[in-house]
Amino acid sequence: MFALVHLVPGDPVRLALGTRFSQDTYDALRERSGLDRPLVEQFFSWFARALGGDLGVSFRSGDTVTSLIAERLPATLTLAFASILVALVIAIPLGTLSALRPRSIVDRIATVLSQIGISVPDFWMAIVLILVFAGTLGWLPTGGYVPLGEDPGGWLARLVMPAVVTGVVSGSVITRFVRSSVLEALGADHVRTAQAKGLPARQVFTWHVLRNALLPLVTVTGVQLAYLLSGVVVVEIVFSWPGLGQLALQSVEARDYPVLQGAILLFALVFLVINLVVDLLYTAIDPRIRR
Amino acid sequence: MRSTRLLALASVSALGLTACSGGGNSVDTGGGGGDNVLVAAVSAQPDQFDPHVTNAYASFQVLENVYDTLVVPNGEDLTMEPSLATEWEVSDDDLEWRFTLRDGVTFHDGSEFDSADVVYSYNRIIDDELSNAYRFQTVESVEADGPQTVVIRVTQPTPNLPALIGSFKGMAIIPEGAAEDLDLTTEAVGTGPFRLESSDASATELTKNDDYWGDEPSIDGVEFRYITEPAAALTALQNGEVQWTDNIPPQQVDSLEGDDSVELATTPSVDYWYMSMNFAKPPFENPQVRKAIATAIDREAVTQAARFDAAQPNQTAIPEDSFFHSDYAPYEADVDAAKQLIADSGVPTPIRMGLMVTDEYPETVTAAQVIASQLEPIGVEVEVQTTDFATWLDRQGKGDFDAFMLGWLGNVDPFDFYHAQHITGGDSNYQKYSNPQVDQLLTDAATETDQDARKDLYDQAARLIVDDVSYLYLYNPDVVQAWAPGLSGYEIRADKAINFEGVELP
Repeated sequence: MFALVHLVPGDPVRLALGTRFSQDTYDALRERSGLDRPLVEQFFSWFARALGGDLGVSFRSGDTVTSLIAERLPATLTLAFASILVALVIAIPLGTLSALRPRSIVDRIATVLSQIGISVPDFWMAIVLILVFAGTLGWLPTGGYVPLGEDPGGWLARLVMPAVVTGVVSGSVITRFVRSSVLEALGADHVRTAQAKGLPARQVFTWHVLRNALLPLVTVTGVQLAYLLSGVVVVEIVFSWPGLGQLALQSVEARDYPVLQGAILLFALVFLVINLVVDLLYTAIDPRIRR
Repeated sequence: MRSTRLLALASVSALGLTACSGGGNSVDTGGGGGDNVLVAAVSAQPDQFDPHVTNAYASFQVLENVYDTLVVPNGEDLTMEPSLATEWEVSDDDLEWRFTLRDGVTFHDGSEFDSADVVYSYNRIIDDELSNAYRFQTVESVEADGPQTVVIRVTQPTPNLPALIGSFKGMAIIPEGAAEDLDLTTEAVGTGPFRLESSDASATELTKNDDYWGDEPSIDGVEFRYITEPAAALTALQNGEVQWTDNIPPQQVDSLEGDDSVELATTPSVDYWYMSMNFAKPPFENPQVRKAIATAIDREAVTQAARFDAAQPNQTAIPEDSFFHSDYAPYEADVDAAKQLIADSGVPTPIRMGLMVTDEYPETVTAAQVIASQLEPIGVEVEVQTTDFATWLDRQGKGDFDAFMLGWLGNVDPFDFYHAQHITGGDSNYQKYSNPQVDQLLTDAATETDQDARKDLYDQAARLIVDDVSYLYLYNPDVVQAWAPGLSGYEIRADKAINFEGVELP
């Protein structure tokens, strides 16, 4: 990872100085930022400090990487969980309904809607929402972020549009999974047996279908959440949402190696933790897995 | 002269009573710092606040209001006028500059401003080899002569010294010892009209400096909010969330001119955008090939595509409004003449040319596509190479290009426009241009103290540069800014300095 980050062409010193500078200035800055040392030496000094929780200092801003990440973490967590909520609120009813009546009007409409949700570019949807709800109607602010503790109303008003845009995209993906897993569960032998025993349809559905359909849903929701937690760059930019996606993008653009390494490390951790949580949820839903 | 188009600025102050004319759709702005705080939408977050280190325009938008320099460009024609220095004089041999400092100025931390602070600030830039050290190339020493006088000795006459130390806040005066005592990347102690209060990932907040040496600002503070998406910034201005922005969708400039929900202002800037070919790479070392390309390009069409109407095509670097503008435009878009030049050059067609542009400045990508289509008929096959800016700079630095397009921003003195870009071995002469005549003219101009003689030297150099196509100049863009109807006391400037000192809210 360290090597990959450094192998990307582009020189952070040149970027920091722009196009008008003298060679002496270039050399001085290169030395100050430690970039003149051998890559292996840079790696070991970074690794040793990273183990102690010190991810270094940003070339670009002079702030510590941990403080830059900590500053943006609340906004990212807020948006990711709000988006997943929106996604599930859309996906579970829509996916279940279309699975219960395959090839019906409801199913067709759900398929078309989720296709639109997946294929419409998120930046376009975001700009349209801004123009309508912040511009024409004037109901919501165009963007930005305020902490929940400071101004709950403003927090919610600013969260709605970005959460809807990312939630619709994730929700469209999840809808398809819900539909196929419910369909599959409906066709399972034990469901037929339960129906044959004369159990009421509602009970069959809740205990025998939904519970079995839950496993793939948990998996895909976990994947979507991990994706959302690593930042949704385009939506963050359009809505001026100060999340990790913007930070990661800025650090790539500026070749700000310490920040980029810190962000990648964090995203890797997020994936590990979410996978762990998903596995634990599996065992809770399906006791057979425990054996 | 193209005058600044301040659309009905005078008449709107009378209408200033109605706050928002967007049909009652104003929105609770939540985080706003109070009623008398100007909220400005800027397109990017400042990278840091050390004026001697940062190179980012987003940082200087803020720092302009926090720090001062010894001299400062006036808003009219960018000639230098007093700021922290009240007057200055040059010795008869032009080698010693004496600056008399303003009395009774205090820094934001309450300490007195005197000559030691100036000596400290300049020597920090020189000794630590910071970004702007090149501005002191001819400076031998910076010394105090009593608390109110600073003496700068130069190794050769440097008529543009005031421009070098005053054209932007990268040359700001910080208190003696500040770099050791404070973390200047996040804190600022200046002498300007506003103090840096706080900055986070959403906004930077300034509060009024009650002890400011100039006229006390009438607003209590400024909040710079980062809104990257131009459509969102414009919507925020129209619905009253912000009162000022420079992030206007270029394609909407025309339609906004008749719109009374915003006050739109444009003025020609001192920036220029150009294309340059690599003199070290055949066939671009061939003057006829370069001339053919300069002849085939229709600057009007390139400008229109890249900037819509918000730019002036120009065949030299310095804009029309400037005293130093050269009235020289030898090229006229002519495909047949260009074809003839290629034929005369003896270089077989098709000529392949990689044109390196960057998505950091999307207008270069658009312009390159137009240029590619204009060069096709004369047998030049352009491959538009779009890269991110880091890669772009890397390749430029290594000479790994056939041709590139970029701009030089915030130029004040003709030295900024021409010197390092075209002198043999110059720091910014990436195209490896070398013409002994141009070298001589630029060297002479750099030390010429008579303004008219200096203009004449730069005019001659510019002609050669244009004839040799060291740079193929394209256009000077306009500065485009907009604010809420009724906001007064703000002056749009050709150097894009954003100064909110005199602003009054509607």
